[in-house]
Amino acid sequence: MTTLDTAAVTEMKVTCGSEEFAQKLAVVGRGVSTRTTVHILTGILLRAEGGELSLAATDMEISLRASLPAETGDSGAVVVPGRLLVDIVRLLPPGVVTIEHGAEEGIARLTCGPASYGLHTYSADDFPRLPDVDGGGRFTVERGAFLDTVGKVGRSASRDESRPVLTGVLVRFEEGKLVMAATDSYRLSVKETPLEGGPGQELEALVPARALGELARIAQGATSDELEIGVQENQVVFGIAGVWLTARRIDGQFPNYKQLIPESFEAVVEVPREEFLDVVRRTSLMAQRKSPLRLRFEEGELTVSAQTQDVGDAKESLPVSYSGDVLEIGFNAEFLRDGLESVTDERARLKLISPLRPGLIQGEGDDFLYLIMPIRLAG
Amino acid sequence: MVPIVAHLDLDAFFAAVEELEHPELASKPLVVGGDPHGRGVVATANYEARRFGIRSAMSCAEALRRCPHAVFVRSNHSLYGQYSRAVWSAVREVIPTVERTGLDEGYLDIGEVASDFREARPLAEAVQAAVRGVTNLSCSLGVATCKVVAKVASDRRKPGGLMIVPPGREAAFLAPFDVRLLPGVGPRAEERMRAAGVATIGALARLTDQELAALLPGKVGALLRDRARGIDARSLDLATESVSIGHEETFARDVVDRERLHDELRRMAVRVAERLARGGQVARTVTTKVRYPDFSIRSRSTTLDVGTDDGTRIGELACVLLDRALTDRPGALRLVGVSVSKLETVVQLALVDAAYSGSQDTSTT
Repeated sequence: MTTLDTAAVTEMKVTCGSEEFAQKLAVVGRGVSTRTTVHILTGILLRAEGGELSLAATDMEISLRASLPAETGDSGAVVVPGRLLVDIVRLLPPGVVTIEHGAEEGIARLTCGPASYGLHTYSADDFPRLPDVDGGGRFTVERGAFLDTVGKVGRSASRDESRPVLTGVLVRFEEGKLVMAATDSYRLSVKETPLEGGPGQELEALVPARALGELARIAQGATSDELEIGVQENQVVFGIAGVWLTARRIDGQFPNYKQLIPESFEAVVEVPREEFLDVVRRTSLMAQRKSPLRLRFEEGELTVSAQTQDVGDAKESLPVSYSGDVLEIGFNAEFLRDGLESVTDERARLKLISPLRPGLIQGEGDDFLYLIMPIRLAG
Repeated sequence: MVPIVAHLDLDAFFAAVEELEHPELASKPLVVGGDPHGRGVVATANYEARRFGIRSAMSCAEALRRCPHAVFVRSNHSLYGQYSRAVWSAVREVIPTVERTGLDEGYLDIGEVASDFREARPLAEAVQAAVRGVTNLSCSLGVATCKVVAKVASDRRKPGGLMIVPPGREAAFLAPFDVRLLPGVGPRAEERMRAAGVATIGALARLTDQELAALLPGKVGALLRDRARGIDARSLDLATESVSIGHEETFARDVVDRERLHDELRRMAVRVAERLARGGQVARTVTTKVRYPDFSIRSRSTTLDVGTDDGTRIGELACVLLDRALTDRPGALRLVGVSVSKLETVVQLALVDAAYSGSQDTSTT
């Protein structure tokens, strides 16, 4: 009837390749919240503008953003259910995908060849404002060095929500090196890595271990050797091959871990790492329901044993360079395995004091340490 | 060899303990549970009170209506825990292999001690005598070739009863009983069966495959019909020996104030932790349970890598879980509770303890 009615028929129209779209969605989709009743957080924000389709998702703790080249007919933005969009696009045949969003319907229409989908939408205005990736300056580090450090340290972080500080990895840049530390209070990992580049000043942040895990996952598929990092007041920003991940910095004081590491040890035992790890893996099968793995050190020999009530037992020895009184100590099998897997050298050193004091696992160098508290053995 | 399994059930356990602690109550109708003028429910009633139609899980207000001169006592779980431990250690003196399924009930592997069913009766009587000798409590036992039959049997001759179902007689024994009495039959299954005219366990046992598929589809139907026929392959579960420890509280008035709810949970967590510590145990799973004014229940759980017996920590976890439940469905609450499970006896030492106490080292290596 009036010209107004036909003025804004389409709010957004964008066309892109289905394969690249699926690939970017797989990355960003990990940021969609799975444990919320806030509907907008279950969605992915699509924005078409200036020849680019950008995607964003957040669960308010981390956010993920990526973009791909696209034909942007009408620029605009809309939020669509995230999980569903990821699944649909993943299953599409290679081809051209078009997304159109008419404002009045509240539905986005996705077409690819003969296939057509209508997706109920949320308003882009309701989507949370994401941290600015350019705010506060960034610097570049070598990707391999950073992620290798994450890989060695990350698993010592806690997953216990009641201890937020311990769910983070302490990331510290010092002159020419990067230091990371994590502890769940039962074990502690610390890794120092020489680093080219960096912020040019000392810098420290407590970053959610989960965010670093996501970063490592994204990096697997990326081609770039560089990782961009920005440390802001409340956020940390990571950029890798066009994907941006932001994470909220954890408030609070990370434990003064240096004072947890004993200054001296009673015994230092060198073991062939792979061989010992295999013994630990095999014996662990009989350490069910968190029963301890028993390590018995005696003259020239280490015996690993485990026993679970009503299941059975296991025992295996290997020759080691130990001398002194018999020492028997118990460890959580999983924690011990984690430590031995994090040391990548051919030989590992086990440093012990007594059955109730922490044990230390190191490789051939001193750049990495894994401190592990024992389980008190009965009898 | 045919398995010989007994189900042991202490008679009106909480009430019996209260009678022992307060002999003056012994001949009176006694109800253990919540406040009869509030919204508590009956945990246990003694046999005197049961004559007035008072049953477990009935509201205390209703119990008071049925028997105005009944004596109401609040539950004292730490006391019942002490009695329960004494009972089970007495039982183990006679039958070493036991699966406790609650404070007051469990299964006994009679077959480990008896060579055949003829020896089952004297052994079962010895168990009853041992329990009475140590605690003055009475219990009932059912003995059969499998758990489901033993459980139904233990309930037949309460209190102080002993019912032995010999091999081959399982289905015939179960057949006349109301289908509701078959372990595993929930309210919904009962309703469906009743609507289809299946009123007894025997009727369920006689259903053909097609009838069963129409009435109770899936694995549950087949499982229940097997049980109705006296077929139950479950062995004693010795791994999950003690199931869980928990506290919950029904409020006199529905509570919406978050701080108040947190305070309640923290307080209950401390009590839960005390009970853990008393048993020398730690727990890996913490569960918060909430009940809304419309009686619907929700629970949220989290599992730790390493067990804890720290009341403060259990309390904090319980609060996080409460917040999560209330995010999913906000509103006032009629009840909150905290419980712990995955109980273990492993003592994993912590680094912070080592750092702050500094005196953990008791060895001389």
